[in-house]
Amino acid sequence: MNVIENIKMALSSLRAHKMRSILTMLGIIIGVGSVIAVVAIGQGGEAMLKSQIVGEGNTIELFYMPSEEELQANPNAWLVNPFTSEDIQALEKIPEVSSVVALSSEFANARYREDVIDASITGINQAYLDVNGLDVEQGRSFLPADLLAGQRVAVVSHSFQEELFDGKSPLGQIIYIFSQPVEVVGVLEEPTGIFSFGANEVYLPWKTWRTIFGKSEYSQVMLQAENADDLQVAGEKAADLLNRMHDTDEAYQVMNMEEIAAGIGQITTIMTIIIGSIAGVSLLVGGIGVMNIMLVSVTERTREIGIRMSVGATRGQILFQFLVESVTLTLIGGLIGMLLGGGAASLVSYFAGWPPLISLPVIIGGVLFSMIIGVVFGILPANKASRLDPIESLRYE
Amino acid sequence: MIKLASIVKSYRIGKEQVDVLRGIDLQIKKGEFTAIMGPSGSGKSTLMNIIGCLDRPTSGEYFLNGERVSEYDEVALARVRNRSLGFVFQQFQLLPRLNAWKNVELPLIYAGVPRKEREERAMEALHRVGLSDRANHLPNELSGGQKQRVAIARAIVNQPKIILADEPTGALDSKTSAQIMELFAMLNQDGTTVVLVTHEQEIADYAERTVFVRDGKLIGEEEEANREVSES
Repeated sequence: MNVIENIKMALSSLRAHKMRSILTMLGIIIGVGSVIAVVAIGQGGEAMLKSQIVGEGNTIELFYMPSEEELQANPNAWLVNPFTSEDIQALEKIPEVSSVVALSSEFANARYREDVIDASITGINQAYLDVNGLDVEQGRSFLPADLLAGQRVAVVSHSFQEELFDGKSPLGQIIYIFSQPVEVVGVLEEPTGIFSFGANEVYLPWKTWRTIFGKSEYSQVMLQAENADDLQVAGEKAADLLNRMHDTDEAYQVMNMEEIAAGIGQITTIMTIIIGSIAGVSLLVGGIGVMNIMLVSVTERTREIGIRMSVGATRGQILFQFLVESVTLTLIGGLIGMLLGGGAASLVSYFAGWPPLISLPVIIGGVLFSMIIGVVFGILPANKASRLDPIESLRYE
Repeated sequence: MIKLASIVKSYRIGKEQVDVLRGIDLQIKKGEFTAIMGPSGSGKSTLMNIIGCLDRPTSGEYFLNGERVSEYDEVALARVRNRSLGFVFQQFQLLPRLNAWKNVELPLIYAGVPRKEREERAMEALHRVGLSDRANHLPNELSGGQKQRVAIARAIVNQPKIILADEPTGALDSKTSAQIMELFAMLNQDGTTVVLVTHEQEIADYAERTVFVRDGKLIGEEEEANREVSES
């Protein structure tokens, strides 16, 4: 009496009661499906949050936070962009650092003919292009020559184009920023994802930005390391160097990405556990449904059990037969549930714009878990079946 | 082949003890065709269940092929039922969702016979009872006599030494009953020991030997020396 024989028997008896089997499975389908969906959505969200914090291209950000004394000595410290060109050159010499992404941002009016809107005007360096890039949907991105020569060219965001140009092509048009003319050469793609929103943005070569705004410091600096593992080391070295150059104590700091990522991981894990256990309750209810139906099935098939015993089935074989039946029920339900749950998670991640994370451990865990539910909730009915008295069972009407 | 020594079976119903069998001594030799007769409530079915290893005696000893099966555990008894015994019941006891040959192969599944051999042997057993052409029919597509033939095929498929039939013709008309009894006689002539429980003299007449049970005791027996005569 092997397992395959038992599984065939289980399938044919489930087929004999289609409606009942499907309804019973539905409980497992909903339970497994919701657990899988919650876990997959949770993991996808966590991955996306982490990647947004750590930044694309695996960069680490330096920031400037003057202490009380430094602020008292120089109350304008907040207003000045903290990173000078010399700082950038010095940072580039740190051995672990492969590139130094630097930019400056300022809100300003942008005018096209009679229309004026507010926009964030950002000047970027070559490293920014290398590391982050500009995803252009119309026209072109900056050429190295634009950056080197400080050409008066601009790449604008999708929503900037929509607001100022009414969706018409802005390529080749002249816009005025701070009353200074620049030519639009490219439009960025519309950002996707639930945490992105369309902002009015204009990107300029750093030198152009410096000329327009008359400021020669950078507001934001990010480092990229040759080796991602050196990122934290490179960041700390950079902060030390800047503090020495500016003769400050701890005004230049680096974010500790590992701590932040771990914190986010913890939060999302807790959220996943909470929502997952609520979903788990439905799985429990589904399991009780399986037990209920199996008990009914044992009673209905009392005579069958008697017949099987009379032709030589042991109590163990009867127990195993009913256990296989309940496991088959929950396993099929579990597989369908995983398909639906995985589908729901993929759908959510598609609209939220983060990677669907249905990992192998989740699938293996789902399969094992459905089987365990089959065993746990099947053992009672199967045990009842195996304890029937063959003579009584053969007389059962 | 079958040896029962002082078999007692009693049940406790509430506070009252009911003695169904009160000390049965019985021997059945290899190749015998024995009928157990008695009125209803005499304990003949209980006796049959004990012989069939479906039930255990309260006391007494039961030897089957020289083995003391009254001491066997549940797994060993299941094996005896599977390998050494074949049952035929009054109510046929076929699984309604399985067709004829799948019903017949059931004992072979529990005997661990490979699939292909199971099918061959099931078809062969159906052939012996004359039902080869009904192999793919479900029980409810068969007549009472055909159902009982399927049940007999199931009983003989694992080539047991003993066939136990509990009122096998109780649900059949007299013509069909005669056909079924001829089948048992044929199996007996091929060397199978047949034990039959009945309350009808006509049916018991097919057996070579009849033992009478009343109130849980054997009250006598007779050898049917004239079996050949009664058949003709």
